[in-house]
Amino acid sequence: MNKPAYMWNYIPLLMQILAAVGLAGFIIAASWFIGRHRNSKVKLAAYECGMVAQGDARGRFSVRFYMVAMLFILFDVEAVFMLPWAVIYRKLPATTGSRFFGFWEMLVYVGFVLVGFFYIWKKGILEWSKDKADL
Amino acid sequence: MMLAWTIYISFLGALALLLLPKGSATLARSLALLTTIVTFAITLTAFVQHRTGALLTVTQKSWIPSLGIEYHLAADGISLILLLLTGIIAIAGILFSWNIERRVQEFFAFYLLLIGAVYGVFLSYDLFLLFVFYEIVIIPKYFLIAIWGSTRREYGAMKLALYSFIGSAMVLVGLLAAYIVAGAKSMALEDLARFPFPLHFQMWAFPLVFVGFAILAGMWPFHTWAPTGHVAAPTAASMLLAGVVMKLGAYGCLRVAMTLFPLGLGPWGFHVLGLGSWRDVFALLAVIGIVYGALVALVQKDFKFVIGYSSISHMGFILLGLMTLNQLGLAGAVVQMFSHGVLAGLLFAVVGRMVYDRAHTRDLATLGPMNLNKAIPFAAVTFVVAGMASMGLPGFSGFVAELMILIGAWRAFPLFAVCVGIGIVAGVAYIWRAMQQAFFAEAGVEPTSMQPPLPPISIPERLGAILLIGASVAVGLYPQMLLNVILPALHSPLFDGLRKGSWQ
Amino acid sequence: MTAVSPALRILPEILLTLTGVLVMVTEPLLSAKTSRKPLGIFALLGTLAAIAASAWQLHLPAGTAFFNTIQTDAFSVFFHLLIGGILLVTLLVSLNYFEGHSTYVGEFYALLLFSAVGMMLMTSAIELLMVFLGLEISSISTYILAGYRKRSAVSAEASIKYFLLGSFATAFFLYGVALCFGATGSTNIHSIATGVASGSSPLLLALALGMMLIGLGFKVSAAPFHVWTPDVYEGAPAPVVGFMSTAPKAAAFAVLLRITYTGFGTMSHIWIPLLWIMAVASMTIGNLGALTQRNVKRMLAYSSIAHAGYLLVAFTAFSADGLAAACFYTAAYAAMNVGAFAIISYLSGYDERRVHLQDYAGLAKRHPLASAAMAIFLLSLIGIPFTAGFFGKFYVFTTAMHSGLWILVTIGLLNSGLAAFYYLRFLSQLYMQPYDAAQDISEAPAQPAFVLGIAILVAAVLVLGIIPNRVLRLAQAGAATYFPCSGTNAAEVHTQPNLLR
Repeated sequence: MNKPAYMWNYIPLLMQILAAVGLAGFIIAASWFIGRHRNSKVKLAAYECGMVAQGDARGRFSVRFYMVAMLFILFDVEAVFMLPWAVIYRKLPATTGSRFFGFWEMLVYVGFVLVGFFYIWKKGILEWSKDKADL
Repeated sequence: MMLAWTIYISFLGALALLLLPKGSATLARSLALLTTIVTFAITLTAFVQHRTGALLTVTQKSWIPSLGIEYHLAADGISLILLLLTGIIAIAGILFSWNIERRVQEFFAFYLLLIGAVYGVFLSYDLFLLFVFYEIVIIPKYFLIAIWGSTRREYGAMKLALYSFIGSAMVLVGLLAAYIVAGAKSMALEDLARFPFPLHFQMWAFPLVFVGFAILAGMWPFHTWAPTGHVAAPTAASMLLAGVVMKLGAYGCLRVAMTLFPLGLGPWGFHVLGLGSWRDVFALLAVIGIVYGALVALVQKDFKFVIGYSSISHMGFILLGLMTLNQLGLAGAVVQMFSHGVLAGLLFAVVGRMVYDRAHTRDLATLGPMNLNKAIPFAAVTFVVAGMASMGLPGFSGFVAELMILIGAWRAFPLFAVCVGIGIVAGVAYIWRAMQQAFFAEAGVEPTSMQPPLPPISIPERLGAILLIGASVAVGLYPQMLLNVILPALHSPLFDGLRKGSWQ
Repeated sequence: MTAVSPALRILPEILLTLTGVLVMVTEPLLSAKTSRKPLGIFALLGTLAAIAASAWQLHLPAGTAFFNTIQTDAFSVFFHLLIGGILLVTLLVSLNYFEGHSTYVGEFYALLLFSAVGMMLMTSAIELLMVFLGLEISSISTYILAGYRKRSAVSAEASIKYFLLGSFATAFFLYGVALCFGATGSTNIHSIATGVASGSSPLLLALALGMMLIGLGFKVSAAPFHVWTPDVYEGAPAPVVGFMSTAPKAAAFAVLLRITYTGFGTMSHIWIPLLWIMAVASMTIGNLGALTQRNVKRMLAYSSIAHAGYLLVAFTAFSADGLAAACFYTAAYAAMNVGAFAIISYLSGYDERRVHLQDYAGLAKRHPLASAAMAIFLLSLIGIPFTAGFFGKFYVFTTAMHSGLWILVTIGLLNSGLAAFYYLRFLSQLYMQPYDAAQDISEAPAQPAFVLGIAILVAAVLVLGIIPNRVLRLAQAGAATYFPCSGTNAAEVHTQPNLLR
């Protein structure tokens, strides 16, 4: 009877979910029952300290913004992967059975990141002003 | 053995035709003719040399060992007769398509491909191989009709192809089931024929496979591809269709469905509308086909439709012969396969080549005033002879075949035999009517002066007609020639199951 | 056993990755004017090396590497060879396709290589997270490849659709993996098999299985997860469609086989009915959909749905032969489908000039050889004897029959009869319609590489149809890794190392 015991591990999670849903439901229900409902035109108007909207919210941006944003995310996430590696680095030889396995693996990983970096650099994506026509 | 070369030579001929330099139409025709003559010579030699009763093993090699599939070619008496028929029709078909001018090489290449595959079906003793050739037949058939055909050719071709594919799908289900149930990892005909399939299995596998093949044999109510296909096809293709391709279906019914699942013919143990077995059902359908085909042929306006529906009527005889399950009926069915092959080929040749290619119409009402018996007397004579043979005049092959089937049917289903009489009478009537309207229109009708006059019947046409009439007369006068090889084949171990199971 | 270095177990992947990286690094160093053909040829060489490495892996004893995430056996090698072959031919036929039209020709090769790496990883992975990684590597590359005709709106549409729906599908798959982990405490297929066999939490497992089936069903474009297929195949560049309609399918089928046969083998009463329904739906919807299509790429897209259905028939058989049949059919299907799309890519060129049926009227006169090759591929798709398609179908239906799936086989065979209609219509366009010289479009003469690629494909279709024995035995050897004790196949295992000689 291992498995049922194993599933018991998830009970706190279930309780958390129940609590969250319950609390949110309770608050909404409470405000609905306690509050008074008076619909008027003013209620639908822009909020007092807000501004009346002007023009279209969908402005156009240069595609370069997206490129840079995307690259940032990519390299950021890649850097994040190094953190868990660094934390368990000392334990790696014991779990992998090889002394330098973890080290070489990270080297390979960094190598790939560098290839990517080299690629975008040479492609001129980092140069904001240079016109590379077909992005 | 030489017989295998009928397949190879036909395929090689097709390949050679495609590789020929362009623009040499006569060369292409001659090459095709030569190819078919060689294959015919081979089948004739084998036929003459055939030691009666023996199974002629041509070649037997392992092909896909892990599934127990063999490349096994062999021939018994029944196969030999159909091989011979294929050879004759192949030559005649080429003679009658001597006037094809458009894409000549491709035409004859597809033609030879079709012939080669047909030889393959008749020679296959491994059911996988048989099915392979059976499927290959469909493609050239489709192209021949769709490229060189006439009336609504794409429709006719597609309908024919789809019917064929559906039919072969049904056949394949049955074959696979048999292969699995026998469990011996063998697709060999002998092995499967020897295997005692359980009764309830045979009860559903038999009709499935039988109908699958019978679709191609033009069994009512699955016959509708046949008239449209025949009418759409160019002359040579309709000759092949009626002459040999429909025989493939009938051959499959006998060789595969009835040989493998003889118990499927046995009684159900109960009666529905007076029918007590699949045998009764198919016999009834065959009789309906005979009568229906003949009656519909009687009212057609298009000359070619007359012949197209007459084919359905005659194919009904074959199916009825098979269902009699007595020696006379079965032998008659095989003779009828030969006879109808030759005669239907001839009739289509007259209509498609001799008449239509000259008059450019097949409408009986329009043909009448043309006074064709004066313009092209040879065509008129040929049609009269072929018509007589086809309605069963003594001295021709049709008489022998239909007589045997009728006697066989009389013993098995007396009531049906009487109904067949209606079909025969109608058969006389539609031939008579077509003959009358097309060639010998009533006096008093103003003969249209032909401008320009119709070209005379060419030498190849005469040769072809003589060849086909000769074959029919030979069999009609000396049927023993065929029966000598058919009867021993029916007594071979292959038909043991049929003989023991439900033979009468 | 331990003597085999783990790196050798993923040698083909390593080779392909290195080739891809080198192509990617070299690309920006070349000036914009330079032809990218050398890069393509380099990619070809890398692919050849990877194929050789896969073939060499046959000599390795079957075993796992990298902490039980990778398993090389006859099965994985079969799919490695298949994917490598597809990649090779795709590179050959697309060597000139983008030249002069796109500024990212070099990346095209790199993406193809990376995508193949992902697929290969999928086929040898026995760890669901590894499968997921492979799936993502291959998918992301193919999303980009689908949109490679940047200036064309349909291509962009194809890419976006493929990406959005594909992400959903992968999410489903991942969710299935998570549930599986919840139920069995492991994502290793072998451990899952033990967990499943113990019979605990069946509901959760069924849910997990369903989720994974959805994810993979999307990848193989099986109905009812097929809706993206026609749009994506219509928009994506033709050589890419040839690649992405075969290789990812092969990989996904391999994963599906591992998950269902090994992982959930004891729950076959649940997934067999599901696959049964998917098979029937795919065959029927695919064929019916193709009947009305006038756009050849859409027509072939529906046909590929139908073919996924035939493949699922083999799966449903759940036997050693069924597995071998599935492997064999994947190979047969790959040969004919890549071929058909390659010919379309040649005839219609980069700007897709010929996509409608009537554009192909009478082309046999203008392009006799290309039409002849197309005819062979189409005949194979119909399933005419002496082609790969015929024997593949025959084998699939035989094995299904063996497992007693009469109804499924009957439906399948009727479907394949029906399918003849639209393939024949295409054929009749090529051969029967008069050629309209006014619409003459001058194509660039076919390059040697393209001709070589087509020749390989035609040869493959014919060899698989006429003498299928060798490939069949390879497939059966692969199947034997799942059903080691089943009769004849056990004998095949011992002859394994000699299979390729």
